[in-house]
Amino acid sequence: MAERMVPLGIACAVALLTALGVVVVRRPVHCAFLLLLHSLSLAALYLGLSADFVAMGQITIYSGAIVVLFLFVVLLLPEAGRERPAGAGRVLLALGGGAVILAALLEPMLALSGSGEPPAAPPDPGFSVAGLARSLFGPQLVPFELTAVLLFVAIIGGVALWNRRPAEPSR
Amino acid sequence: MTGPLNATVAAPELLVLATSAALFAIGVTGLLLRRNPMAVLMSIEIMLNAGNLVLVLAARARGMVDGHTGALLVLVLGAAEAVIGLALALAFFRDRPAADVDTQGEVHG
Repeated sequence: MAERMVPLGIACAVALLTALGVVVVRRPVHCAFLLLLHSLSLAALYLGLSADFVAMGQITIYSGAIVVLFLFVVLLLPEAGRERPAGAGRVLLALGGGAVILAALLEPMLALSGSGEPPAAPPDPGFSVAGLARSLFGPQLVPFELTAVLLFVAIIGGVALWNRRPAEPSR
Repeated sequence: MTGPLNATVAAPELLVLATSAALFAIGVTGLLLRRNPMAVLMSIEIMLNAGNLVLVLAARARGMVDGHTGALLVLVLGAAEAVIGLALALAFFRDRPAADVDTQGEVHG
């Protein structure tokens, strides 16, 4: 138990700190780098939860593609997308909203932790890629195939958003 | 936050569960706090990641691989969301005078 607790705790701490950094840091470039660290720490968490394939997907797809795409777009923005500091009212609203969500999510968890004897740690299920594939191409086939449609629509949407503007404002 | 949870820390799962809740709350805070579209998108990504973490944790606790499948599908969803969101952000910033990416000296950090 303890030997699982330490790496999981470290990964959790890094994930939380980097997420806070993404929200707080002003310059989007630093935000993007912190998001990269956040994604890698989540991959470590997935490894600790014996989700090897998801961890690899997180590293290759998320850190490798999505976050790097973020970095490129940030570098394309004028003044790297710097923003003015938020007013006090906005900060209060954000903190209040975050606190409400946190309380709503943590309350059932606290009830769960306080109930009776601590639950026995589940044994390592020993997930395999073959089992994942059986699930992906078996019961989850329809959602999996629908992701192809989703990505296709997203590509078309991205191209349409980018191409629409220059035709009109020339006059 | 971790104080009462540490009392019955028998399950490291509880720590991960609390982490994902905190991550989601952080994402909501960023969503309300920031006005830069890039930062808003990153907050949304944090919230997606928090949901993914719960899916993977549930797969571990239940011993069923379906959570991993769901996590992979959410990963694809995040990619599609990033494409649309970044295109929107670029279109939004394109109206600004300094948004011409062909001008030298524009690509900086």
